[in-house]
Amino acid sequence: MFIFTLRRFNLFFFTMLLLTILSFSLSFLFPGEQLVNLTGQINATPEQLAVLANEYQHQAGFITQYFNYVSHLFHGDMGYSMASHLPVATEIFNRLPATIELTSVALLVAMFVGIPIGFFAAIYHRKTPDNIILGVAMIGYSVPVFWLGILAILVFSIQLGWLPSAGQISLLFEIEHVTGLQLIDILLSDSPYKWQAFIDATRHLILPVIVVALAPATIFMRLARTAMLEVLETHYIKAAKAKGLTFWQIIYRHAMRNAFIKVIRDVGLQFANLVTIAMVTEVIFSWPGIGRWLIESIYQRDYTAIQGGLIVLSTFIFIVHIIIDFVYAALNPLAREPRHGA
Amino acid sequence: MNLIDIRNLSIELQTATKPILAVDRVNLTMKEGEVRGLVGESGSGKSLLAQAIVGVLDDKWKVDADRFHWRGQDLMRLSPEERKVIISKDVAMIFQEPMACLDPTTTIGEQLEEAVDTEQLTGFFWQKRQQRKQAAITLLHKVGIKKHEVCVKSFPHQLTDALCQRVMIAMALARRPILLIADEPTAAMESTNQGQIFRLLASLNQLKNMSILLISHDLENVTHWTNSITVMYSGQFVEAGTTEQIFSQPYHPYTRALVDSSPKANMQIPSKSRLMTLPGSIPVLQHLPIGCRLGPRCPRAQQKCVRAPKIKNFHSQQVSCHFPLKDNYS
Repeated sequence: MFIFTLRRFNLFFFTMLLLTILSFSLSFLFPGEQLVNLTGQINATPEQLAVLANEYQHQAGFITQYFNYVSHLFHGDMGYSMASHLPVATEIFNRLPATIELTSVALLVAMFVGIPIGFFAAIYHRKTPDNIILGVAMIGYSVPVFWLGILAILVFSIQLGWLPSAGQISLLFEIEHVTGLQLIDILLSDSPYKWQAFIDATRHLILPVIVVALAPATIFMRLARTAMLEVLETHYIKAAKAKGLTFWQIIYRHAMRNAFIKVIRDVGLQFANLVTIAMVTEVIFSWPGIGRWLIESIYQRDYTAIQGGLIVLSTFIFIVHIIIDFVYAALNPLAREPRHGA
Repeated sequence: MNLIDIRNLSIELQTATKPILAVDRVNLTMKEGEVRGLVGESGSGKSLLAQAIVGVLDDKWKVDADRFHWRGQDLMRLSPEERKVIISKDVAMIFQEPMACLDPTTTIGEQLEEAVDTEQLTGFFWQKRQQRKQAAITLLHKVGIKKHEVCVKSFPHQLTDALCQRVMIAMALARRPILLIADEPTAAMESTNQGQIFRLLASLNQLKNMSILLISHDLENVTHWTNSITVMYSGQFVEAGTTEQIFSQPYHPYTRALVDSSPKANMQIPSKSRLMTLPGSIPVLQHLPIGCRLGPRCPRAQQKCVRAPKIKNFHSQQVSCHFPLKDNYS
């Protein structure tokens, strides 16, 4: 298990190395002055620029410059946004929690809906439930997310008026910013309208989460279905049958865990996809997250913000990936062996 | 009374084009307390037959029999569910690759505990839990595993193949079966481990009067441990008799070839000469010959062999051949 952990950290280190190199090289590749791209100081006077050049060791070689950039990153300095002239780190820090909230809730919903349905389809392989589920999964996967988001707003917010269409919470509620995660902040606050606020925030969350979770959920359905079918073909299921266990005992005790292990690895991979979908959804639902901010930055040619957003968002995806790897190791005794824990 | 009496059991593989008859009207009878070997080349349908008896074949396979009696009870008249209840109570099976037959994510202990029959336990559920644990440990002791603390906590991949097979046998014993079907229990095992497993099975047979159907592709290997042998070829019944009969006077040309092909220590053959073998190889399922399936390879085949032979009885030795090697002995 120690080696397993060590390997994950090793992987984390090298991925971060490559990511920072990419982000650093972006400041050269973007049009304009490299130093300005890196710091975001577009209105700086020549004197200020000279100070910055000294600070970032602009005259030295690339490698020194790179390490200088990394040390700035470690100090939480990602430069200033070209559009808002605020520090990029502050901007990201204000927006990232909303994205974490949306994507993690969506991931959980996609898993807890998609995987059991996939198992169900596999158990009724080539029967009516299986065909219906496969058909629905195909449709769900094919629907473009921006169209689905607009349609959801049109139906549930405008026509039926059940759920709010934009934002994270109604402006009536004032919630103190503690962790940044809205739901947790509400529970921590001592406002007399705590529960009303909580319900309101949940109502705001429902539509975007469904829109984000739909495509990954259908992928999980198909993955879970294939995994379950594979597991049901294995010898140990046959042996369990010969042991005299009933079908549901076999499913519950042996098949589900083994099939889940096969799916959980792909969950990590699908998370990157989910974040991409979440970025589009944030724009549609005016969700105050990092995805919407990043897309706006791209429109405004805010190069400093793009670099900062790239690093933070990829790190977030990678951390989730590693967490899922640990869940996988917790479930699968084979992965914990040093020999197998690749 | 026969323990198990199967007459004309056929197994069909349902394919997209047309069904393939993988096992063609095979007979099998076993007495109580008997160790019977079921011998044949790979692909002769031995494992299929065993899995059909236990009822673990999936929907692709269609099983049909003229008679399927279990201790005098006609199982063909029962519904599949009722049949499964009776069979899973009295028949246990162990498989070829023991490690693949154990759930890789569950500890040995848990897997053993769930095999323990609930009817053997008494008291409330918290007492049952403890009893279940105890029963699992007793089972491990029965198959000769002394370090039960380590074994119970291990996952299958942490044990050796031979240990896994012992665990499989322990699981099979959990329901106190009357018949144990061992499907090549020692395939891919070292010979010392093979000996251990066979000795364990033999002692179970002698001490508990448990009948064993020992499936193997190696005739030589099973002779020490069996009372009687049934030979199959390409899904057809070939010959059945006591081990002595099969070895000293095989009536079927295939059995003859099988006995002759295995080298013995006291064999008088010139150096560098070829061992006796039949030409060709076992037919694939897609191209099965009609009639006696040995026909194309058989040294004694004649025109009559395109029709499947009827079973002939010689002193309780059954042989399915138009031209048995009857005149060679006597």
